[in-house]
Amino acid sequence: MTIVKGEIVMGRALLLMFVMTIAWLSNAQAQGGAGEKEWAGVVEAAKKEGKVVVAGSPDPVMRNDVIPKFTARFGIPVEFVAGRSSQIVSRVETERASGIYSIDVFLAGPDTSANELYKDKMIDPLKPLLVMPEVVDVAKWKNGKVWFVDPQEQFIVRAFSSVATLLFINTEHVKPDELRHMKDLLNPKWRGKISSEDPTTTGAGANKAARFYVQLGEEFVKHLYIDQKPVRTRERRQMTDWLARGTQPICLDCREDDVRPLVKDGFKILEIFEIAGAGPTINGSPWMLSLANKAPHPKAAQVFANWILSKEGLETYAKGYGSATLRTDVDESFLNPGNVPKKGVKYFDDTDWKWIVGGRHENRDKVWKLLKAR
Amino acid sequence: MPLTAATSPPRSRRLHLRPIRLAELSFLLFLAVVMGLPLLFLLAGSFNLSAPGKPSLYGIDNWLRAFTDSGTLSALSMSFTLSVVRLIPAMIVSVLFAWLIARTDMPGGKFIESVCWIAYFVPDFPLVLAWILLLDPNFGFLNSVARSLPGIEGPLFNPYSFWGIVWVHTSTGGIWFKVMLLVPVFRRLGATLEEAARVAGAGTTTMLWRITLPVLAPMILAVSLLSFIRGLQSFNTELLLGTPAGIYVYSTKIYDFLQREPRAYGEATALGSVFLLVLAVLLFFYWKFLSGGRKFTVVAGQGYSTLRVKLGKWRYVAFAGCLLYVAVAMLLPLTFLVIGSFMRRYGFFQIAAPFTLAHWQNMLTDPIFLVALKNSMIIAGTTAVGGVLLYSALAYLLVSRRTIAAPVLESLSWIPHVLPGILLSLGVLWLFLATPLRFFLYGSVWGIAVALILADSPVTTQAFKAGLLQLGADLEESARVSGASWIYTYRRVLLPLLAPIAAAVGLMNFGSALTSISTPVLLYSHESRPLAILLLEYSFTGELERAAALGLLITAIIGAMMVVGRKLGLKLAGSAQ
Repeated sequence: MTIVKGEIVMGRALLLMFVMTIAWLSNAQAQGGAGEKEWAGVVEAAKKEGKVVVAGSPDPVMRNDVIPKFTARFGIPVEFVAGRSSQIVSRVETERASGIYSIDVFLAGPDTSANELYKDKMIDPLKPLLVMPEVVDVAKWKNGKVWFVDPQEQFIVRAFSSVATLLFINTEHVKPDELRHMKDLLNPKWRGKISSEDPTTTGAGANKAARFYVQLGEEFVKHLYIDQKPVRTRERRQMTDWLARGTQPICLDCREDDVRPLVKDGFKILEIFEIAGAGPTINGSPWMLSLANKAPHPKAAQVFANWILSKEGLETYAKGYGSATLRTDVDESFLNPGNVPKKGVKYFDDTDWKWIVGGRHENRDKVWKLLKAR
Repeated sequence: MPLTAATSPPRSRRLHLRPIRLAELSFLLFLAVVMGLPLLFLLAGSFNLSAPGKPSLYGIDNWLRAFTDSGTLSALSMSFTLSVVRLIPAMIVSVLFAWLIARTDMPGGKFIESVCWIAYFVPDFPLVLAWILLLDPNFGFLNSVARSLPGIEGPLFNPYSFWGIVWVHTSTGGIWFKVMLLVPVFRRLGATLEEAARVAGAGTTTMLWRITLPVLAPMILAVSLLSFIRGLQSFNTELLLGTPAGIYVYSTKIYDFLQREPRAYGEATALGSVFLLVLAVLLFFYWKFLSGGRKFTVVAGQGYSTLRVKLGKWRYVAFAGCLLYVAVAMLLPLTFLVIGSFMRRYGFFQIAAPFTLAHWQNMLTDPIFLVALKNSMIIAGTTAVGGVLLYSALAYLLVSRRTIAAPVLESLSWIPHVLPGILLSLGVLWLFLATPLRFFLYGSVWGIAVALILADSPVTTQAFKAGLLQLGADLEESARVSGASWIYTYRRVLLPLLAPIAAAVGLMNFGSALTSISTPVLLYSHESRPLAILLLEYSFTGELERAAALGLLITAIIGAMMVVGRKLGLKLAGSAQ
């Protein structure tokens, strides 16, 4: 009897599970079908608008890979307005003051996105416009959702999160053992042997100095940027060449995509992500995504925004640029394993909203005061 | 001897009162709108303290912040020092070059002149890097050669220093620009004065010092003025060579404000206003000099002769000297630049298989290359022709003593030279967008051409003005007495005499339009993107080798245009003789 009862209970349970599974699958299919239908409608409307205007950094991957793929897929031409964020925003602000709205999509850095596009209300909520099924599928995102970084979680999408390089060394001149702790950078042996992007002006050099100021304190910054007499430049190619030649074998601000070809050519260059004394850092390079308000081609902008967040879009950009995306289905085998954030590790987030809109500026000003008063 | 006719050009006598007033008023209105308005927009903007899109709030905080920023004054002092130190030797060498090319029987003058033209348009950014490859204390080619000499141990040269900057700046652009402007006016100098001096027993040096230089003073001064202000604004060389040595210049400070997020245009304009002040002071002395009763007419209706000074055996020494300077200052880094465009990584000879055609192939197969090439040719052609037509007329008006508003007109024509390029671009952008011009100029190749024509105003106007000051009154009077109309006289007498200057500045404007980045950077659209913006994009993303290839291609286009332009200029000039 007991056995019979048990069988019945188990049978009911199995039946219930079967019914629930069928119901879930049907619902998912129905939802997916609805999503697909909505997406197809958006694409159709976008094609009628004729083109989409995207503003961003002139990374070669955009011109060589991303735009051709997008146009081939949807038949929508992309007008790419490339340049420094400051120039693009100047132009857009001036246009808007005269009632001209020419840009549809912004692929801008965190500073520009937060402190200008968002602050000056130049962008529209993007969240309601994400409809492409593979984009809205939460299972496809490492964070369990598309990551909107603004306080309302509506406007600015962060699609990348890579571990940032702390520094590069040329191992023919600097042995990894010689830099076990951040304080080792202050060894007089390295005086004049360190290069950095000029920390006295806006840019990666000042951003890193601001981070060191927070993580390691004023004295460290003073010793590193003044006493160690690092060689400054504002030309990133110059730093990379110095690193390769060994004239300044420690580079604080070289870029991974600049150094990669050197490593392929056999230069003994090591990318260091973490040294005792300074925690590891992640950032959202190369861009954050937002949609311009009063966009001239809103549907085409919507299609571009959805597609660039899809597997194809992000994988194309990530491969060309060398950054880890926040999607779960993007191939990451091309990346340096050190670039991929590890679970359980606490990172300093250099693209964190509060840091971008406040902390970085405050600390950068302190660094400037310190360095300019020397 | 009708060698030096009255200074005052008599063209005004040719025109009736009404037409010259009409022309004067038209130019005044035009320049006030296209030059004055952008400046006004910028100056007004510099006092606006509120963020973009917010209601205006005016105050002087931007100005205070700009001038109390640490390092501003020392940067200003460094800029002045560098500009003066660069100017003096560069002017001496330039005048000497121009004199040797145009006034003496030195062999190979045309070759030296052609090299000067080509040299001027080689993009400076990769050229500075070529100098680094040559002079770097650790790996520089010339230092390596020097070390192999007996008695030399340490590096002889260091580009990351005050004198390194002076040398590199002088070699990349300091001489060529001046020679290009000076040669046409030297060439047009009638030899009668020099012949008279020789008859009176003057030697070659006395003749040069007492005759040639004084009568060519307007152009020499104008070129000095242009160069001095250009020197104050110089930026690229100082950025690459000065930053590592802790040498900061004034333009770097302006650049810093423009790069900030949010951008500080108010502060940048406030700092830029120093250039206006410097210009005002220099122009005051310039006008005072020109209006001091001096005579500059060198082409009169009678006895015009272009016989050249005979240098005897020294002509070969002179040619060797010019050749040596050109070889060291230009051919050496240019060779590195050409090689660099075929290298996988610029300057890295030690890597496996260092040479490649990939950068040229990638550039030529870039889908936007052909569109950009077409855009650039339209923009450069329009700029060259438009600038010559517009500013020859303005210069004609300025040298006419009947114009009441000459100082105002001239000041307005100088404005583009004192505004940093990006600020000028912003001012023009405001001008386009605030007026109906936006409907047919904004974002188009024509809009970029208009902006570039405005930017060319100082050089082109001054070149024509100096040329017109050399023409004697009797030239037009003779034509008039013979019954020629003003148009006929202009076409058959003035234009052929001005043809070499027109060809020179037209070509210079053509080249500048091809290489200018800061002017079109806020004005181009996807359809109107020119080659220079493509060059900027390559440089921005560190594709230096592809940028070098594109820079060389632009130089080659200018070289080809130089041959055409020179033939056209000589043809027009020849038709007059």
